[in-house]
Amino acid sequence: MRAGFLVRGLATAALLLGTTFSAHAEDALARVKAAGSLKVGTETAFAPFDFIDAGEHAGLNVDVFAEIGKELGVTIEWVALPWEGVLPGLEAGKFDMVAGPATITKARMERYRFTPPVAEATVAILKKAGDTTITKPEDIAGKAIGVGKATAQLAQLTAYSETLPTKVDVREYPAFTESYADLAAGRIAGVANSLPNIAFVASQRKDTFEVVLPPFGQKSYFGFIGTKDADHAPLMVAIDAALLKMKGDGRLAEMQKKWFGASFDTPDSVPDPAF
Amino acid sequence: MSLKLFELLLKASLYTIGISLISILIGFAIAILLSGAMLSGRKFFSAPAQIFISFFRGVPLLVQLLLIYNLLPVIGINVPSIVAAIVGLSLCTAAYQAENLRGGFASVPRGLIESAEMVGFTPGQAFRRIKVPIALRLTFPALVNEAILILKASSLVSVVGIVELTRMAQDLAGSTFLPLEIFASAGLIYLVINLVVARAGGLIERSLPGIPR
Repeated sequence: MRAGFLVRGLATAALLLGTTFSAHAEDALARVKAAGSLKVGTETAFAPFDFIDAGEHAGLNVDVFAEIGKELGVTIEWVALPWEGVLPGLEAGKFDMVAGPATITKARMERYRFTPPVAEATVAILKKAGDTTITKPEDIAGKAIGVGKATAQLAQLTAYSETLPTKVDVREYPAFTESYADLAAGRIAGVANSLPNIAFVASQRKDTFEVVLPPFGQKSYFGFIGTKDADHAPLMVAIDAALLKMKGDGRLAEMQKKWFGASFDTPDSVPDPAF
Repeated sequence: MSLKLFELLLKASLYTIGISLISILIGFAIAILLSGAMLSGRKFFSAPAQIFISFFRGVPLLVQLLLIYNLLPVIGINVPSIVAAIVGLSLCTAAYQAENLRGGFASVPRGLIESAEMVGFTPGQAFRRIKVPIALRLTFPALVNEAILILKASSLVSVVGIVELTRMAQDLAGSTFLPLEIFASAGLIYLVINLVVARAGGLIERSLPGIPR
């Protein structure tokens, strides 16, 4: 009896789902073009990719997506959420894709579809300027290091901490900007984040912050994120094409120079992640 | 801190004020229905109202907002950020306001209604002329309290993508590295808004019928 009820319930649910899907028979790309706008989810606390510069939404993402918009002939509609809400928002269909960007990892590739990389994402340490107790990555053993919640950088820091004689005191923050503030205030000894991010922060406040080289993490890249379903496949192919075109004619390198101070050599296709 | 940053905070506070005000009004309308259902004495009405109130008082507002924003699309209702924010705040405050109203109506002394009927009031007249004014007077301070609570709780709607006062302060503090000045300004703006609400509430309360001046 009970099982029969369950089966009937599931069948009804499947039927309902079926009607919702068939309600928009066109794919995501066609819908985006028809609406004239591409909805992009992001977090505005990830300078220099995405941040609020004295009230203005700015960063590499804004510039890159402005060009992607031109290529597709649509405007960009931004939806800003706290990072831990961005990927769930993508799955719930709140936006067509995610800027972020996110580090391309094995676990994420199983669930999401990445665009070709837009920057290197290898993780390094940001310390207070003039702090002589940290001169190489190993020196963070036993020290308090800040990192963003639900990030690939957190996973890298935790893995690296395991290899040290004394573990790192990992402090998780809702957003990286808050960890920088705590580093400036002396509450933590360093922040672990990807090189482009901390290089930008250090260049903005030379008297306060300094990058510890070399990076300790495994080589990795940043890409934009979409979903894997067939509905979104044409959209993601079009985004990839727009990105590669921008890479080919030097627009991407120009933007990298503007926001990172140097351009990166990034692969044309999604690389096999090391972790 | 420059004047421009303060202006940005003021602009963001318009979201705080707008979303809170709309939610309190919608919440009040729902609360009237809920308290009516609770006081009806019929299980058919009071049981669903009771379940509604238990849920929206018992689940943290933050979780409610995330559910409305991320879970509703699963059943095919994809609401934009602003709608999710207003629906979440409205339903939550409706549950609290309903309990306030129910308490107010329940505290009107039975004897007053009986005397009104003795001198020839119809039940409808007794409700309008005796019960509503007294209940309103009893619940009004709690409603002002609730309005202030919702204004402050509206900072939670940033999780569904609304850049209101608190979120704007966080963004600006992160990009300007002036956390002290910016959070102090945000706190000041909240304080001023709530002082205005409290003062307006006081004025309205004095003009309610039956309050000695």
